[in-house]
Amino acid sequence: MLTGNERVMVQGITGKYGRFHTEKMLNYGTKILCGTSKNLSEKNVHGVPVFESVKECVEKYGVDTSIVFVPAPYAKEAVMESLQNGIKKIVIITEHIPVHDTLEFVNYAKQVGATIVGPNCPGVIVPGKIKLGIMPEKYFKQGSVAIISRSGTLMYEIASFVSRAKGISVAIGLGGDPIIGTNMHEAFKFLMGRGINEVVVIGEIGPAFEVDGIRRAIDDGFNGKITAFFAGRYAPKGKRMGHAGAIVEGETGTVQYKEMVLEKIGVIISKTPSQIAEVIEKW
Amino acid sequence: MKLHEFVGKKLLSERGISVPKSVLVRSSEDILKLKSDIEKLGFPQVLKSQVLVGGRMKKGGIAFSESFEETLSLSEYLFKKPISGELPFGILIEEMIEHEKEWYFSISINPIEREIMFIFSEMGGIDIEKVAKESPEKIIKGTERDINKLPSTFSDVAEKLFKIFKKYDLTLLEINPFTPDKMTALDAVVHIDDNALFRQKWAQEFAEKKKPYHFVKLDGNIGVIGCGAGIVMATMDLIKSLGCKPADFLDIGGGASKEVTISALEEVKKLSPVAIALNIFGGITKGDEVAKAIVEFHKNNDLPLFVRITGTNEDEARRILEEHSINVYEDMERLCKEVVNYAKEVKAC
Repeated sequence: MLTGNERVMVQGITGKYGRFHTEKMLNYGTKILCGTSKNLSEKNVHGVPVFESVKECVEKYGVDTSIVFVPAPYAKEAVMESLQNGIKKIVIITEHIPVHDTLEFVNYAKQVGATIVGPNCPGVIVPGKIKLGIMPEKYFKQGSVAIISRSGTLMYEIASFVSRAKGISVAIGLGGDPIIGTNMHEAFKFLMGRGINEVVVIGEIGPAFEVDGIRRAIDDGFNGKITAFFAGRYAPKGKRMGHAGAIVEGETGTVQYKEMVLEKIGVIISKTPSQIAEVIEKW
Repeated sequence: MKLHEFVGKKLLSERGISVPKSVLVRSSEDILKLKSDIEKLGFPQVLKSQVLVGGRMKKGGIAFSESFEETLSLSEYLFKKPISGELPFGILIEEMIEHEKEWYFSISINPIEREIMFIFSEMGGIDIEKVAKESPEKIIKGTERDINKLPSTFSDVAEKLFKIFKKYDLTLLEINPFTPDKMTALDAVVHIDDNALFRQKWAQEFAEKKKPYHFVKLDGNIGVIGCGAGIVMATMDLIKSLGCKPADFLDIGGGASKEVTISALEEVKKLSPVAIALNIFGGITKGDEVAKAIVEFHKNNDLPLFVRITGTNEDEARRILEEHSINVYEDMERLCKEVVNYAKEVKAC
């Protein structure tokens, strides 16, 4: 997924969040070469040149990766523009994108062989190498354990425990929307390609993404160690808990069900963040 | 967002799907005023409570009337009858469609397959869930490319329904029952994507006013506020595992302002909790601003507050809170233990 050599473009660089996080990512060492915006009154943001189109960015700077902060109503257009101009890795931070739009660009990305992470996600960080996201980097110290999470702030919370215990090789925030570009299974494929075999999975109530993804990863031959932590054990049925995807509908959406199934296939269940630290310290 | 049956049926009929003739009434005065239209539907006629909860038939939300007088009296009863705690928006009075066969058809977005998919059964009706459980072979599932697996008489309707689903940004379109006898949709459950309301102007009038935070009332007595859905759920879970019950789920989101924090505290206060636990953990949340909001709320309320706060300017935030003797902790597990201990001390859980 990320090697640290990505040539990065920020879509929506002149907005409040785009601007703020561009600076943070630059400070981290991420190679941001240009940005796009429909607001052309600014020629550069934190020294990064701003263009109207992705095409100009690609032609002038050879960017291959994008991080998207474009507001939801225009996000599909921005992502499609990137895909049509050959961008192969896209992280979408934007929240509240209509799900039909997400379906469209996720399926198009599949056709053109591009990888999307998100939407509505904190992004991806390879500690010490590259940060393509909005996570507070101080909680992500370099080490051996991978984190895959549906939730944003909960990922930060747990990252601080993992960092203290063993350190992090990569943390991938998949996003809390019902449709996401990279699912649990695809995230595991990436870890397997890198030879990472210690994984913390952070899940929540809602469609059994985690169960499906972990099961498929094991079928693919993943034989590393996994511990999983789930939020929403006591969430009432039928109520949406913040995330569009977080709703218990029927048995398979409950934390209890997910834990039961995963335990059977060898996943260690952690019930608190500090338990995760205890588990991984023994690995 | 769930939409009422009458809204869903209007969408269907505008796009060429047959639905029963109907009149929507919101009061007894409406019924008197629309007498001739109602009589034109013929008798017997069907009275359907417009509520958003499911299983309305089994909960007494549907009645049959033989005369105009009966329609008037039954409606008066239905207007006042809550279905699973929900009073109806109105009553949809419909012509009776005599039929024998009932099919089930729905379209939704499958998050695992990442596709728009349909579910169909020739054994529709109020027991569809039982059918799905006990005779799964009676259920057909597929994408738009699989419409040819459906009865050929239905393919035209199915295609139209897929068009409606996409055009109106729906997340669920369920017709149960659809009767093949008259090729008519007898019910319609329609959910629209909240995130698409900006371009679905017709649905905006049904939208509730959006609050700056996401709030769900629960049945316990320890208030919970946090930033991020995952972390709020994890906080609720910890409180529960320590033996007390959360009063709510309230996510103020990332980068919450002073105003949002205060209004969130006011919202939770309405539930009369024994104490409120705030789990503020964020990269972009300005800790000192949230701390000032908490102090301001604390000045006017003697409700015990337990705060965990990290993020930008966290040292300043802690200093502000401690100065006003508000309990502040560095991690979430400690926060939950302390608030639970307090609730137990005062015998509130």
